[in-house]
Amino acid sequence: MDVVISLIFRAIFMSTPLILGAVGEIIAERTGMMVTAIEGIFLSGAWGGFIGVYLTGSYTVGFLTAMLCGLAVAMLYGLTTVYMDQHQIVMGTAITILMTGFCKFFFRAIFGTPTTPLKIEPLRVIKIPVLSDIPIVGPILFSQNIISYMTYVLVFAAGFIIFKTSLGLTLRSCGENPEAADVAGINVRRVRFWSVAVAGGLGGIAGAYYCICNAGMYSAEIISGRGWIAFGICFLGNWRPFSGLLFAVAFGISDALGIFAKTSQIGFLPTEFFNALPYILIIVLTICRKNLKMPANLGTNYVKEN
Amino acid sequence: MIQLKQEVRTLKKNRDVYDFIIWTVLAIAVGLVLSFSFLPMFGISSIDAMKIMITEIFSSSYSMGNILVKTAPLILTGLAFAFTYKAKLFNIGIQGQFYVGCITAAAISLKMQGHAPGLVVIILAALGSVAGGAFVGFMIGFFKAKFGANEFLVSMMSTYVFTYLNLFLMRTVLQESNHNYIKTDYLDKSVWLPQLIPGTAVSWGIVFSILVAVLVWFVLYKTSLGYRIRMTGLNKEAAGMAGIKPERQFMISFAISGAIAGFAGWIEVNGMQHMMLPDFDAEIGSFGVGIAILANSHPIGILFAALLFGFLQVGGTALGHASGAPPSVIELMQGFVMLFVLMSFFFRRKIEINRLKKLKSENEEVA
Repeated sequence: MDVVISLIFRAIFMSTPLILGAVGEIIAERTGMMVTAIEGIFLSGAWGGFIGVYLTGSYTVGFLTAMLCGLAVAMLYGLTTVYMDQHQIVMGTAITILMTGFCKFFFRAIFGTPTTPLKIEPLRVIKIPVLSDIPIVGPILFSQNIISYMTYVLVFAAGFIIFKTSLGLTLRSCGENPEAADVAGINVRRVRFWSVAVAGGLGGIAGAYYCICNAGMYSAEIISGRGWIAFGICFLGNWRPFSGLLFAVAFGISDALGIFAKTSQIGFLPTEFFNALPYILIIVLTICRKNLKMPANLGTNYVKEN
Repeated sequence: MIQLKQEVRTLKKNRDVYDFIIWTVLAIAVGLVLSFSFLPMFGISSIDAMKIMITEIFSSSYSMGNILVKTAPLILTGLAFAFTYKAKLFNIGIQGQFYVGCITAAAISLKMQGHAPGLVVIILAALGSVAGGAFVGFMIGFFKAKFGANEFLVSMMSTYVFTYLNLFLMRTVLQESNHNYIKTDYLDKSVWLPQLIPGTAVSWGIVFSILVAVLVWFVLYKTSLGYRIRMTGLNKEAAGMAGIKPERQFMISFAISGAIAGFAGWIEVNGMQHMMLPDFDAEIGSFGVGIAILANSHPIGILFAALLFGFLQVGGTALGHASGAPPSVIELMQGFVMLFVLMSFFFRRKIEINRLKKLKSENEEVA
């Protein structure tokens, strides 16, 4: 029983950054922007977050720097795609390559080559009084860290904003029919640019989660494809934050199983299988899902005719 | 009047090519200067670094040869991306197909060396890696065509699946004889690709890569297959009306793209590394994307773009050895170069539009 509880705890714990990144991605994709730089954004967040915490010792500063780094990368992406009409997928690949080099280069510029890996104390969990005493649910849901709690709230807030407010309508209209939105007086480019920026801020925090909350250290391989999983969750969740949450937990479980398999030496399946499981799942689910309601103008830039 | 129009058209075409070259060279220069401007953080002045890089590269034929060694697989991954890009498809999973090619080439070479003549094994390894890459590419195209799966997502994810599959194989059935490290045995000398230039590490790989580039150019621009693929990319609906089945073009172009990427794996394993390691050439796929972008996905342009990336890789490594600059300066340079080249597309287009507008208003005045 304890094993199952710790497994599910771990699943929720590891799904937090995925859902954070996915919510940001959903907001941006609803306006028609595929943030394909998400891998680079995650990486820059992890890098910025680690530096912030290591140099100041404050988690608040760490998450703030992570957010700013993610924001900066997303704004570069937004500038080049929204305002300079470059292809989104191509630009995303370019920015991801740039950030891979950038983070390695400036990590070394700041810290040199330390002989032992630099460590920070991982962020502690907060047990919510009373609620955390509920059997089973308590230790799983109410003994997480502050970022996880904020993420739960964010999922519902994002769902509410996208589907129930006029701001959400504005966002969605830019993704479904930018011409009509433009005629209605919405500045499509501005909406798209700032929604990408929001995705960047959230993605930055998500990246920082891996080094501040999970590993307690930074390495160049810390993200290794997790940004793409968040990107996939956005598709699989049908561009809805709540369904995205369910998929994120599913990937959290496969992540937790991988760690579980490594520590407890399950003989019958190789650990590589568990590592590859989220990616296999995304491929299988992408093939199986038929009723995807993709924003009609996803991935196409909006160029005003003149 | 018609004559005048034609003249304007040829003039415009020539100017387009000139513009493209000038702007791209300018963007590359800006990217490099910006990357070098960060080097003083490591106590190396930017100008010294540039000098070191150039003198180190041209100091020996060996390091000059290394540029060609690095260029060969980059040409192929660039071509692999460009081939699907012509059909408006995104094969971001070149890395995965490359790994499939690598592991197939390594497995065939290791299992067959000594049992058959070297040349036969080399050819079989090449065929195997091409078939492996083509199969993976075909599957992605098949998922796209039959199930409407997003090829970008599927190909991206397949890379990670094959990375872990490779790790698994290298840890188990293909592990080196001492079972200490996660890698394969060294290939026997008889199954290495023969050397092209004595005294360097340059193998026949570079020749094959250039041949593939010419072949891709021929297929894309001179055959009906290439016409169908390009037409699908330009306008899927129109292609469908003209009796071209877009779904079939998806599968064909993805299979060919995968085959090219798999072939790159063979060149790397049999021609350069002579074994398979984890995290081997881990960014060759995304560099392929970058190279295709630099060259505007023209097969012949890709040759030069790949040469530039090869030059930067060898130069960056040499700089690291000679001065203590971190090797990540290579990725920084490549990243900035790509960023500025993409930006230059925007400025070039903007200037072109302004020029056309001016021309139009002048014409109206005359009329």
